[in-house]
Amino acid sequence: MNFLEGIRIALGAIRANLLRSFLTLLGIIIGTSAIISVIAIINGLNLYVAENLSNFGPGVYVISKFGIITSHEAFLDALKRNDDLTAADARAIAQNCDLAERVAVEVHSTRDVTRGANQVQDVDIGGIDPGIVDIEPYEVDQGRNLSEDENARAAAVCFIGQDIVTNLFGTIDPIGKKMRVDEREFTVVGTAKKKGSVFGRSRDNFVKIPFGTFVKMFGSRRSVNISVKAASGVPLEDSMDQARVVLRARHHLRYADGDDFGIVTAEGVNNLWKNLTQTIFLVAIFVVGISLVVGGIVIMNIMLVSVIERTREIGVRKAIGARNRDIRLQFLVESVTLSCLGGGIGVSAAFAFSWLLRTYSPLPARFPLWAPLLAFGISVAIGVFFGLQPARKAASLNPIEALRTE
Amino acid sequence: MSEAVPAAGGRDRLLIDIADLWKTYAMGESEVHALRGVNLQVHDGEYVAIMGPSGSGKSTLMNLIGCLDTPTKGSYVLNGRAVGQLDEDELARIRNREIGFVFQTFNLLARASALQNVELPLIYAGVPLAERRARAEEALKQVDLLDRAKHHPNQLSGGQRQRVAIARALVTRPSILLADEPTGNLDSTTSREIMVLFERLHALGNTILLVTHEHDIAAHTCRIVSVRDGRVAADEPVAERTLAHAGAS
Repeated sequence: MNFLEGIRIALGAIRANLLRSFLTLLGIIIGTSAIISVIAIINGLNLYVAENLSNFGPGVYVISKFGIITSHEAFLDALKRNDDLTAADARAIAQNCDLAERVAVEVHSTRDVTRGANQVQDVDIGGIDPGIVDIEPYEVDQGRNLSEDENARAAAVCFIGQDIVTNLFGTIDPIGKKMRVDEREFTVVGTAKKKGSVFGRSRDNFVKIPFGTFVKMFGSRRSVNISVKAASGVPLEDSMDQARVVLRARHHLRYADGDDFGIVTAEGVNNLWKNLTQTIFLVAIFVVGISLVVGGIVIMNIMLVSVIERTREIGVRKAIGARNRDIRLQFLVESVTLSCLGGGIGVSAAFAFSWLLRTYSPLPARFPLWAPLLAFGISVAIGVFFGLQPARKAASLNPIEALRTE
Repeated sequence: MSEAVPAAGGRDRLLIDIADLWKTYAMGESEVHALRGVNLQVHDGEYVAIMGPSGSGKSTLMNLIGCLDTPTKGSYVLNGRAVGQLDEDELARIRNREIGFVFQTFNLLARASALQNVELPLIYAGVPLAERRARAEEALKQVDLLDRAKHHPNQLSGGQRQRVAIARALVTRPSILLADEPTGNLDSTTSREIMVLFERLHALGNTILLVTHEHDIAAHTCRIVSVRDGRVAADEPVAERTLAHAGAS
């Protein structure tokens, strides 16, 4: 008996019990579509994060007091051990590191901003070296960036995000208008293009003012972040090491001491994220695996039922010349056809699901080609594995007894 | 239709040669002898009825002749080949090539059309599709059901179903047709129809073994073998043969 014949018989048997077949396949359908969906979601998250979470590109690193903190203990440790970073630290790096092409500081504080009766609370106020736009560029929507001159004379000017534009100015053109940060009046010189939100947190809720202005207004006792762009063509690691040496010398660290500052790179952020998603991925795959195994057991169960129901048919087939291996193949093909069908439906469902996600959520949920192939392969394997025992049982039936069955 | 006649050998060629055939079943501690030394010879082209009450060993004998089972002792030569000690796969092959089964309950596959049912043995024989289809149609023509080829069993009458089953038995051009109570589920009119068909097939040269417990059915054959207590109790030619087609129409 050939394979096509087996598939034809299998499809006939499946069609004869359409509802039962569908219910049988539910486990496999959910399992395969879940595998692909998990891959698509994680992939999408990775992409999303790579695009959005770290807004600085390759060749850039940021030295900060805390670096990447992954636990409360690490935070407390760093709080005890780490020194505040100062503008002088930044200057030292700029002067002593030939592998640092550009160095700029940024310092943050959270304040309320007002304009007349309009108020926005808890806005991120960033005091920046205007040169930071060369390192962490942001797109200007209207007006212009802050200038070095404004920084030098600590001018009361600001560059604002879209949330501030909307909430303080509404439809009014904000350029040249006045607004207040705390009680001090600032003139808006430019606005940034909308960046959207990441994980529900808006990235347009900021006001940038010159670093000099910030120090004059809020004092210089805050730790600054030092953004560094490595010299082009130089490995990032080398530039980071140079900056590290300079800072360690300035902070009088001994050889055995750890760094009292942290360095963040785009790669570091992504790696942290990837570690996190890897864990999610493994847990999700484990859960999906259980659903697939359950789906396989259901298939085995229904195949055993099918063998019993069709005992007489098996007897007839044997009487007219089917060998044991023909019967075995027939039932194996049937279980594999079932699981393939489930896998196929699951893959289609996953395609539909990830399309919905892409279209109706910000998540760029995509899966690589190997994901549906893997899922489909797994469902075929499940069909073979869980179909083997029922097929063997069918093949080993005694033809005389099988024929006698009512 | 001449293909139904075995090509080689004359009318007297020995098709079935059974000598001292025993079949013993173990029932717990004790042994049950279903057959106790059966001797039977059937020549090419014969039309034989095997009769016997239930428990006589008739079914066991039929299963052995049909190569569905192997004997405990004794020899069985079918069409020149000793088939007593073959393994399951070889027996399946013999069943496929040498035996055409006709069952009391027809045993057609419900989801397959008449044509597909008739094709089935050829699938297991590895016959390619085009030839398979042609031969199945030819077999259906032999039982006058070519116009019902696309019908499924539930769209056919009992008699038609049995004729499809007979076509399925004929399609591999087997050495013997082995019919087990082929009229057991049919009314008398339809039964006669089937018996007319067997008569015609016999006239065409087919060797037919008919297992039955009805005397008037057995009376259509040429020879009656009576089985009792696991032995052949009587083996006689039918003196006054009833011809089914004489009573028909």
